Amino acid sequence: MTTETTTAHRPLETETVPSASPQVRQPRSETRRRLLGFLRHVALLALVVVSLYPVLWMIVSSLRPDGFIFGNASLVLNTFEIENYTGGWNALGAPFSTYLLNSAVVVAGAIVGNLVTCSMAAYAFARLRFRFQRPAFAIMLLMIMLPVHVVIVPQYVLWAQTGLVNSFWPLVIPKFLATDGFFVFLMVQFIRGLPRELDEAARIDGAGHGRTFFQILLPLMTPALATTAIFTFIWTWNDFFSQLIYLTDPNLYTVPVALRSFIDAQSQSSYGSMFAMSVVSVIPLLVAFTLGQKYLVRGIATTGGK
Amino acid sequence: MSLAELQKLSTRSGGARVKQETPDNKAALFFLGPWLVGAVALTIGPMAASLYLAFTDYNLLQDPRWIGLANFERMLEDDRLHKSIEVTFTYVAFGVPAQLAVALLLAIALDRGMRGLPFYRSAFYLPSLLGASVAIAVLWRLIFGSEGLFNSILGTLGIDSSTSWIANPDTALWTIVMLHVWTFGSPMVIFLAGLRQIPREYYEAASTDGASPLRQFRSITLPLLTPIIFFNLVLAIINSFQAFTQAFVVSGGTGGPSDSTLFYTLYLYQEGFGAFRMGYASALAWLLVVIVGAFTVINFWASRFWVHYDD
Amino acid sequence: MRLTTSSARRAAAAVATTAALLGLTACGTGEQPGSGSEGEAPELSEEAVTLRVTWWGGDSRHPLTQEAIEAFEEKHPNIKVEGAFADWGGYWDKLATQTAGGNAPDIMQMDELYLASYADRGALYDLEQTTQLDTSALDPNIVDLGRSDGTLYGMPISTTAFGILANTDLLDELGLTLPDTTTWTWDDLSAFAEEVSEASDGEVVGISPLNNGYSLQLWARQHGEALFSGGAVSISPETLAGYFQQALDWTESGAAASASRQAELAGVSIDQSDFSTRKQALLFSQITQIPAYEAATGGATLEPVKIPTEDANEADYSYLKPGMYWSVSSTSKHPAEAALLIDFLVNDPEAGQILGTDRGIPSNGTVREAIVDGLEPGQQRAAEFVAAEEEYIGAAPEITPNGASELDTLIARYLEDVLFESQTPDQAAEAFIDQLDATIKSAN
Repeated sequence: MTTETTTAHRPLETETVPSASPQVRQPRSETRRRLLGFLRHVALLALVVVSLYPVLWMIVSSLRPDGFIFGNASLVLNTFEIENYTGGWNALGAPFSTYLLNSAVVVAGAIVGNLVTCSMAAYAFARLRFRFQRPAFAIMLLMIMLPVHVVIVPQYVLWAQTGLVNSFWPLVIPKFLATDGFFVFLMVQFIRGLPRELDEAARIDGAGHGRTFFQILLPLMTPALATTAIFTFIWTWNDFFSQLIYLTDPNLYTVPVALRSFIDAQSQSSYGSMFAMSVVSVIPLLVAFTLGQKYLVRGIATTGGK
Repeated sequence: MSLAELQKLSTRSGGARVKQETPDNKAALFFLGPWLVGAVALTIGPMAASLYLAFTDYNLLQDPRWIGLANFERMLEDDRLHKSIEVTFTYVAFGVPAQLAVALLLAIALDRGMRGLPFYRSAFYLPSLLGASVAIAVLWRLIFGSEGLFNSILGTLGIDSSTSWIANPDTALWTIVMLHVWTFGSPMVIFLAGLRQIPREYYEAASTDGASPLRQFRSITLPLLTPIIFFNLVLAIINSFQAFTQAFVVSGGTGGPSDSTLFYTLYLYQEGFGAFRMGYASALAWLLVVIVGAFTVINFWASRFWVHYDD
Repeated sequence: MRLTTSSARRAAAAVATTAALLGLTACGTGEQPGSGSEGEAPELSEEAVTLRVTWWGGDSRHPLTQEAIEAFEEKHPNIKVEGAFADWGGYWDKLATQTAGGNAPDIMQMDELYLASYADRGALYDLEQTTQLDTSALDPNIVDLGRSDGTLYGMPISTTAFGILANTDLLDELGLTLPDTTTWTWDDLSAFAEEVSEASDGEVVGISPLNNGYSLQLWARQHGEALFSGGAVSISPETLAGYFQQALDWTESGAAASASRQAELAGVSIDQSDFSTRKQALLFSQITQIPAYEAATGGATLEPVKIPTEDANEADYSYLKPGMYWSVSSTSKHPAEAALLIDFLVNDPEAGQILGTDRGIPSNGTVREAIVDGLEPGQQRAAEFVAAEEEYIGAAPEITPNGASELDTLIARYLEDVLFESQTPDQAAEAFIDQLDATIKSAN
């Protein structure tokens, strides 16, 4: 991302098949290459098993009755407790779709907010010279380093004074104010990897910073934007603490808050339902990642090097 | 702590070239506008408040009371704090390099054109999607418990073990390090993106010169990837120092067995919310900022010697 | 960020101002109106009132509580009640944050561990200032456990007793029968627990050690002491060391599972415990958890039996403990309505019918009798046990003082140290008392 290789400064060419093998031509035994390729697939598949196992186990557990989930690491399913899904869906007073929808609203707001404002802030840090640039950057980094648990109370006090607690605003507004330093930093690094000649050429043509950013850089930042969108999706979807603190009306609860409500440390918990609804709530994440990853990698291949 | 230097380093590539131009204060105000509003209205206030609270006795329910440096003095004699620093450093020292190494290896393995690439990518990312959820906590017990899968596997290899890996103070932390390594998805994705940025013609030229794949890796892939490695390293260190949810996988958030998984942030949380000592927790938070800040500054400084910027 | 002296001073001033602006210094609960113990009783409003109620629990509790709230709203059309719930851990984080932000809910479910911590810091309302709440149908001993320094801050919702749950199905399988538990001593229990482990070749263990505040209190009382007195730790190091030693003995003799097995299961939900997975025959527990454990064991029959004593004739050591409380925030603008709702939830038979035994056996005797016939067998056995426990009940102890809300965690932590033999029981007892004392002192 921060590479500014000489070749990167060449006119851009689009590579439609990013995963095509590089043209490394070497006289080498064809069978040996095939064997190596086969072995690589075997090794990768073994890793896939390790990666997939917990998810499969979660799915299998979501189909087991309560009391048969623990102490059972196998993936063999001899019961099919679909009731975990039907019961779990309605167990918390509101249908689970309410929580999915609430999470979706928060996530959508967070993604739009982060994409717009973090990229703008990143442009300023990466390409502009201005007063207080260093302290500003330092504060942004400090924000990543300070544990959330000590700022949540002052932040809550702030939001309580505006009267906006118990709504999605405390979860979404910060994203529209580029408070997620991680993504600002990420995009700073991405922008620095883009050839500076591009925007300098645009500037010579008379483009202002606005046009340079929107028309030249933004289209080239697809991978950074995709990364931001995907990571924002996943992290917001799974974020428990701030959503717990700010939302009090059960009809506004999001997925992670709702999932916890299945479990009571002191009495009997509905783990089956919890797992069933966990499976349901992982699906949007999986879809988001599967769809998003194309942009993540293709984008760079078409913008970065040749 | 010289974060200014850090900033200088991070923008050094741009500095020289634009120096002659007039500063872009106006444009910066526009682009940084939202961030500025957020910083002033939402961030600096709470940050400053937490800094203030670090010098107070604050139990959340009553007004904070100024006690000067007492919180910091207490740190010197706080055995649990020292333990938590030890735990966290161990976690960072082993978890971060191991996770980045796995992520990098897999990114390289997945980089060259091969069938099923999107499938592998999604599959490998799955553990990161689940993170340290309740399901993982339950599962980790099933794997590393005394009657877990791991012991069964050892058994088939002829090693008889009935240890509970997650409940033994000597091994519990290592199972969390493994969990950390296992969620290599995010850095892997970023590495993959970085690998795609390396111009293919470099490899072509190297092949023509007869360089072996290993040599190509050492002289092309690795140097050109260093900015990405650096980026992942900086963020992984910052994030790992704040490891929190991971502790709930093994101990349900107590930090046990015998405080062997008492992460710094977990201890801070226990002090702040469990024991109502938010003043002390704030002091702990700022100590962490100093530690992580120092690591970040060192990182940026050291990057001059190993990170290859081609400008 | 290298600060010179003058800029450091300026920064400190700015920071203090920011904190003041943020309201951190004003939103505490200390000086809020309505929290004082003087003043007239608040009156019910004729106008529309909105109350916020919050509780922790699992998924079965939420719909039931909502239903009871709706029944209340029907009776009092001008009062609107907004319920909110969270899991146990999240509940306390959220409650503390809300209270710190001056935005505490009107009514909150409270636990004995936290009652004094909230009350003594001025966060709770003196319930006896209101005229809407009737405590007469509750055992005065139980009501006393809702007091801190003599002021009633928590209305007990339910009562529970401490005892042992015996999985008699499992014992039958092993061909064992419980000894006479009405007169048994700790030695009898140890011997029987070992017998279980031997009879099952270690597949099933007998018991797991005592490991919480309730049991430590009982242990102290059996030794003629109290865990707390005058708001300070009063258990002697010797008695506490005996408590730890017992755990160590059981772990070493095989009566209980290995130290690492115990550590592995520390902090897991009840469904994952060895007792629930039929690897343990006896369990120290609050008796009212019978239904939960019966469900978790997949329907085993659990018999509640009393805990042993040093000497068979010991009496008066036991006490019934409120399962949970309802408390009112000191910042509530509607304490009268809040008290009215609590009165309804605890005392009204209609609410009693809706809520059943979800929060334990109702503290209100009339409600208890009204619902007892409809109880499931497990809960009925628990109710019978609680009634039979009368015989051993003495005066109510002091509640967990302000600052000691981490009592259970602290016990678990020192117990682990003892079992892993990084401290001897004597060392652990000394250190435990020191630390608990220091925590209490720093909070007061």
